[in-house]
Amino acid sequence: MNFEEQLLMDLKTEIAARADRRRRLTRTRSVLGVAGMAAVAAIAVPLLTGTGTPAYAVSTNTDGTISVEINEFRDADKLEGDLKEAGVQADVSYVPIAKQCEPGRGEVVGGEPSTLEEFRDSMGYKAARVRTGGVDIDPRYVGQGQTLVMEFAENKESAEGGVITSRFKALVMTGPVEPCTLVDWDVTR
Amino acid sequence: MRRKQPKIATDPVAFEAFYRRHVDAVTRFLARRVDDPHTVADLVAEVFIAVLDSAHTYRADLGTEIAWLYGVARNTISAERRRVYRQHQLSDRMNGRRQLAADDVARLEERIDAERDARKAFAAMEELPEGERAMLELVAIDQLTVTEAAHALGIRQGAAKVRLHRARQTLRNLSFVMDGAR
Repeated sequence: MNFEEQLLMDLKTEIAARADRRRRLTRTRSVLGVAGMAAVAAIAVPLLTGTGTPAYAVSTNTDGTISVEINEFRDADKLEGDLKEAGVQADVSYVPIAKQCEPGRGEVVGGEPSTLEEFRDSMGYKAARVRTGGVDIDPRYVGQGQTLVMEFAENKESAEGGVITSRFKALVMTGPVEPCTLVDWDVTR
Repeated sequence: MRRKQPKIATDPVAFEAFYRRHVDAVTRFLARRVDDPHTVADLVAEVFIAVLDSAHTYRADLGTEIAWLYGVARNTISAERRRVYRQHQLSDRMNGRRQLAADDVARLEERIDAERDARKAFAAMEELPEGERAMLELVAIDQLTVTEAAHALGIRQGAAKVRLHRARQTLRNLSFVMDGAR
């Protein structure tokens, strides 16, 4: 193959990679635009895609990121194990829509974000981007001795028509992470 | 507000057509300015990466693709010169230096050789002020029309004509440069 053909191939790969990045960015933007809620991405898309047999699927991408497709909110522990194998220490909690893990489970890198702006600058936002059907994780933002703490919730009641509300929260914590204790969901907490 | 990305930056099929239409012209454009096959190959890659970066600046109604592309190529090459000046290496966005087979090198050397006169003309034009030189380059050497060259440089047609006129006055004796500039 001459260098012109080789270059064309490289450039087409680059176009695909850029399209992929743009898609992820746009999705997360629209998600946050709708929500406008502090520190938590409240999303207006169904998070769960269906009732395929496996609860989730983990795949690693050539750019070093990890994609998780989530079909059902179960097997969180197993997912954590698979993520560890893929190169990221993670803590996954699936919670009912009216509940949340009690905040203060560990030391948040850069402090717990309290405004949308802080959230967008936070390590958690860089490390994990939620999208329809799952979440994309960039392990480069989760350092040695740190844990990517993710909390998922979805209101299945409204999945048919009307507003579909889901909630996703991602924080990067240093050191030990306390287990999730469910408390009532309160946007101010 | 994000500008809409044109097809050549997002659609691999549209990009491939664009690339095939122009890769030769871009290679020759660079061979007129650089005499090392590896640098030419690296610059071809840089120019098409720059095409992806700046595709949103292309307006079909404002001029030909080639005029726009030469504008992009000019910016790339001056960025490259700045880099060399600072003794920096080429950006490694595209795996660093392109891998060239012996055939590639031979073909590029032929191109470079074919553009020998053009490079001499560049040397002769070195004393001209930058704006005039740029205009003369694009018209006399790269064979753009005055309108296209104005577009490539992002200046008005009137200003382009003035610059060209001044350059011709200065270089009256260089007939081989002037041939294309009438």
